[in-house]
Amino acid sequence: MKTLKILTVAVVGAIAIAVVSGMLDTHERTNLFAERPVPNQNKKQTPVKEKATVLKGYHIGDAATDFSLINIDGEKVSLKNYDDAKGFMVIFTCNHCPYSVAYEDRIIALDKKYKNLGYPVIAINPNNPDEYPSDSFDAMKVRAKQKGFTFPYLVDAGQKIYPQYGATKTPHVFLLKKEGDQNIVKYIGAIDDNYHDENAVKNNYLEDALQSLIRGEKIAVTTSTAIGCRIK
Amino acid sequence: MNKLLTLFVLLIICTACDNRPIATVTAIGQDGLRETVLPGDKVKVINFWATWCAPCVEELPYFESIGSSYLEDVDMIFISLDEKKNIQTAVEPFLKKKEIKSTVLLLDDPYAAEWIPIVDQHWDGAIPVTLIVSKNKKQFYNKALSKADLEKAIKEFL
Repeated sequence: MKTLKILTVAVVGAIAIAVVSGMLDTHERTNLFAERPVPNQNKKQTPVKEKATVLKGYHIGDAATDFSLINIDGEKVSLKNYDDAKGFMVIFTCNHCPYSVAYEDRIIALDKKYKNLGYPVIAINPNNPDEYPSDSFDAMKVRAKQKGFTFPYLVDAGQKIYPQYGATKTPHVFLLKKEGDQNIVKYIGAIDDNYHDENAVKNNYLEDALQSLIRGEKIAVTTSTAIGCRIK
Repeated sequence: MNKLLTLFVLLIICTACDNRPIATVTAIGQDGLRETVLPGDKVKVINFWATWCAPCVEELPYFESIGSSYLEDVDMIFISLDEKKNIQTAVEPFLKKKEIKSTVLLLDDPYAAEWIPIVDQHWDGAIPVTLIVSKNKKQFYNKALSKADLEKAIKEFL
């Protein structure tokens, strides 16, 4: 009887050791489970390859590409259709990102103020809605209506435009100035340096750059960094 | 005799498991960040994330699991960029749900342009990102990492 008990305990012990050593053996388990299926993998593969060659994006002084992207009203928008504009605030932004949301009111205010001075906002959502469902075309329409967007809110369908600009996150601003038939990149970065509290902003990067452009002066700070949500 | 054996088995199980408690959040500022990115005794793996960041939330379990299998050699540190006011409502519930036991710090400083260069000159501010530092080496990953990527990256430091 005693032998049986000892045997039972020994068997339990052996099982426990086997389980534990299995748990510890994480090194060879990377392929134990099937890969998570990726929706639309065929569609995605082409832009990924393109990204590898153009990921660097624009630098100050580069000519930015024009585009023809669908707006939330169903119409296509291109920079070349803005005859009266002197330039553009191209802002990559989206619905899902709290940093983008924090800046919505400020983007509306900038558009209202600077559209009349020749620099309208063009907002582009660069995200794949399969990655972020709240960035879908329908959700964009809803959000734009809720907030009363005064500017176009475009879809980067196929994600072909944001890699050319070199946008990596939302929000990400590219301030362009028309020179001849080109749109030259004058400022890249954040709207200002405090997403959390507009009244505590120390550096109004984008507005300072706009003011310099309008006055025909050199822009003092042409790039800035800020936290944002990685474009996917 | 039986009791002894049972005790022995239990002992084996407990020492093999990661029996650290679920992490709690420590808020830091720019000085704390500066200290955190300095090399330590072990290899430091510092991951910047937030509860609202989908690609961050996706990769965090890989970091936790690899961290717990390299406890002897690696200090796994998660720096959350969530707001302080969400520690109890969002961050700590998330840590509990995902059973995160590594060190969790939280940096709620909106002036990111001031502290981004402390982490890396090449960081454009998108998250997730990961910094690995040892006494004589530093590597910054300005992207999300797969489990295999992360393990490979860590092995280069061991």
